[in-house]
Amino acid sequence: MRYFLGVLLSLPLSLMLIGLLAAALPMPWQGWLVLQLIAAIVLWMLLALLVALPAKTWPPLIALVVGNLAAWLVLQATPLYGVGA
Amino acid sequence: MRRMIDLHAWLGMASGLALFVAFFAGAINVFHHELHHWQEPHFAEQTATPMGMDRLLERVTEQYPDARKRLYLLPDDDDPGVMWFESADSDWVTAHATDFNAEGVHEATPRSALADFINELHFALGIPNPGWPINIGMTFMGLISVMYGVALFSGLLIHWPKIRKEFFALKHEGNMRRYWKNLHNVIGIISFPFHLIMSVTGAAMGMFTVVAVLLGALVFGPQLRGVITEQTEVWSAVESQGNTVIMPHMGDVLSAARNELPELTVDWLEIRGYGDAAGWIDVAGSVPGYVGHHAHVVLDPTLGPLRVIAPGQRSLNFASLSPVYSLHFGDYGGLLVKLLYFLLGLLGSLLFVSGNILWCERRSDRTGPGRSSAFLLRLTLGVCAGVVVGLAFSFLVSKLLPHTPLSGLVALAERGVFAVILVLLVAWSLRASPLRFSSQMLRVAPFCYLSIPLLQTVLEGSHAWLEADNRLINLVLLAVAACLWVVRRQFRKRIRQAEPHPLWVGKVSEGDPRHLTDT
Repeated sequence: MRYFLGVLLSLPLSLMLIGLLAAALPMPWQGWLVLQLIAAIVLWMLLALLVALPAKTWPPLIALVVGNLAAWLVLQATPLYGVGA
Repeated sequence: MRRMIDLHAWLGMASGLALFVAFFAGAINVFHHELHHWQEPHFAEQTATPMGMDRLLERVTEQYPDARKRLYLLPDDDDPGVMWFESADSDWVTAHATDFNAEGVHEATPRSALADFINELHFALGIPNPGWPINIGMTFMGLISVMYGVALFSGLLIHWPKIRKEFFALKHEGNMRRYWKNLHNVIGIISFPFHLIMSVTGAAMGMFTVVAVLLGALVFGPQLRGVITEQTEVWSAVESQGNTVIMPHMGDVLSAARNELPELTVDWLEIRGYGDAAGWIDVAGSVPGYVGHHAHVVLDPTLGPLRVIAPGQRSLNFASLSPVYSLHFGDYGGLLVKLLYFLLGLLGSLLFVSGNILWCERRSDRTGPGRSSAFLLRLTLGVCAGVVVGLAFSFLVSKLLPHTPLSGLVALAERGVFAVILVLLVAWSLRASPLRFSSQMLRVAPFCYLSIPLLQTVLEGSHAWLEADNRLINLVLLAVAACLWVVRRQFRKRIRQAEPHPLWVGKVSEGDPRHLTDT
């Protein structure tokens, strides 16, 4: 259950972290979309691995939920959402 | 470390069977193009000369208006083909030049679909896509690839401290379980880079739809769809003004494309808006010598160049997309790389079987003999044997049926016989002793693969060996038979030398499985 939830919750976090990277880098996000996809997949795998490391079950899962919320809030401060092609 | 081992085992067990199917089918699917030629039946009295590419295009677009919107032309000197999306059937249709009668009317000829079936088995476990926006089988395999990637990273962390020692440690020392463990570790270490490539590229392709939807919803907004289209399509959609044009000869199209990109090797042509002045032709193929070898020359109907996408002349998105495909399919380095992928694919299958067996034995050791471990071991053996033997029978049916009155059922029979054998062998494996079941399956399986080239030789004579693609596929099948024979020999050797784990003997019932010494 822990591993399953870890895999599930790591996906949105990895995508939002890549989104934040795209916002931080001084180049148009449209130009390296495929690399973002690959980076997000690798990050997803690594996050799911990290969740399995701590001894207790719930702290890493709560950390993932908090991380998702925080990343989403920070993303709202970036001009990424809704900027056209 | 304990949690890493648990994670590795859990992920491996959850994804192992699906990965076995994907890798065994994938190892054969490395030769997908050659398999398409192999599956075509050869009759001694074949004398008719099929029409050329231009005439085929005319016939198809006359009889199927949907094909004018978008079609793919597969150039072939002997029998060119055209693929298009038929809206009435909500499916892609393929017509070959030999499917047209003397009056030029298309007669749907039943053809073998073995190569496509093996491909579907590889990327979607053969789960059909009923036209939903998301391909369930492919997305499922994408998720499996992610779990496989996590299992790989955790496996690397587990084995990193003792990697040099384990690299040379294929010694069982009289212990069957240790043999499986060492085999699993050695294969995993040797082929780690290959598996890393497969997991990342497989996940990127399989999870593309899910990731794109989430990326749009969470990060970039609804315009992401348009951006993906713009960044990954070779040219924009046709905006017809209603002006017609006489289509150029395909020979001239190929010449114009080679004029723009002399080193281009053509694989297929995509034609959008056939006969429309606003249409375009994409000549797609490869530029040899690059990992990301895919190339496109886009031409307008008057053969004016619109765009060239090739190594050194493409955007970062195209430059990163091309290696995702080529690294996954192993089509960037000629026959040698293909053979390496084939071998690593078969070794990968062995990696997942050994991993599942290890998991079952380890669980049985930790919690005591139980029905769940015994069930999972039997299921593993049943699925693996079912896939291996079932695919061999699909090959046999594919070759045999076109020479019988039942030739119209060939595509259905290829899938049907696979499903029936898989179900029967899984059912049998759940009833029989695993040791006995494995011995019997390993005795039968090499002969199944040996019999395929023999059957083709009997039915088609020297054509089975004189034609290059036929020869290659037959040699590949003989190599599969030889590999299964080696596995059988090693398995028998272990049985003679070492006492098997208790899970391998007895029945699944009250008080079972029993240890060998009790039986």
